Amino acid sequence: MAEFNWRTLNIDALDPESSYNFDLATLTPAVQPVSTQDVQTLSGQIKQLMRAGQSEEALKGALENPPYGADEQGKNIHLSTVTEILQSIRQSEMTPILQRIYQSEGGSEVCDTLMKYIYKGMGQGGPAAAHSAGKNVTPQQTGFTQAGGRSFGGAEGGGQAMSVLLSWHEKLVEISGPGSIVRAMSDRRTV
Amino acid sequence: MSQSLRPYLSCVRSTLTAALSLSNFASQASERHNVPEIEARTSPELILNPLTVSRNQEERVLIEPSVNSVRVSIRIKQADEIENILVHKFTRFLTQRAEPFFILRRKPIDGYDISFLITNFHTEEMLKHKLVDFIIQFMEDVDKEISEMKLFLNARARFVAESFLTPFD
Repeated sequence: MAEFNWRTLNIDALDPESSYNFDLATLTPAVQPVSTQDVQTLSGQIKQLMRAGQSEEALKGALENPPYGADEQGKNIHLSTVTEILQSIRQSEMTPILQRIYQSEGGSEVCDTLMKYIYKGMGQGGPAAAHSAGKNVTPQQTGFTQAGGRSFGGAEGGGQAMSVLLSWHEKLVEISGPGSIVRAMSDRRTV
Repeated sequence: MSQSLRPYLSCVRSTLTAALSLSNFASQASERHNVPEIEARTSPELILNPLTVSRNQEERVLIEPSVNSVRVSIRIKQADEIENILVHKFTRFLTQRAEPFFILRRKPIDGYDISFLITNFHTEEMLKHKLVDFIIQFMEDVDKEISEMKLFLNARARFVAESFLTPFD
């Protein structure tokens, strides 16, 4: 016991009544657990719609059935499906499609889901992923680095995908307003 | 302003505007304390989902909202080692003088170059849209500043090398 540093102990973590141990499940609406298999089947159906040229139906189908209850892998599969649809839609068609979706039944909820996917898509490929992808080493090692090392040259990597998401974001905010961003922040059901 | 910078900044602007709806919230753990919950993390219910806005893999903004504070972290574009050193020096200069900046955090969070911490007291004292404007302005200027410094540095290095090597000419 003598070697244990009790000053660093977080005593709140030991108290079941403290706010530190607040049970988030009470705030989260009940979600159906979804298996990865089901997500894959759904994404297959959506991709079929997309290949048939019905991008609007594909986008709606993908956003109306977000796999809230799926595990990390299933969520990533659905994210890649959604980003694929978003990239397949031309810039000039974005606003009309969003307007039609927003005015349809339950449209604002669909727009909120889209907002969540846009932010998740932009959050992908963080510094860690960029580091592993960067193979380019500077020709001479100066041995003079004060800041932490990072990979250079890959600055434009993923720039295309991000600019698509950014223009979707801009158009979506125009239609559904900043409330949609607040709901993306505060909704405990993450995509 | 370049073509891809405008949607990036407008996205950051709308996200920040949405995130800056803060209210006074006293600490639940200790009486008569009031701490930014995003730093203290005393309860998971007070922390909202963090949002990332990124222009490409190297330029991104992380916005972490909570009930009474928002942490905004910026990763500044660095194309090569010179820019890396310049950004490091520049952010170090600013963070060492963090006190008169109010919202500047003394240490950036991991993976980012500079962080801001905005609490409800800041939004009460200052105009909210001006705070957002300040951060957008900062992001605009810092890129300009860094590339300007790089140009100056290169020009000076060339001049020094020339005058150093003239005797051997």
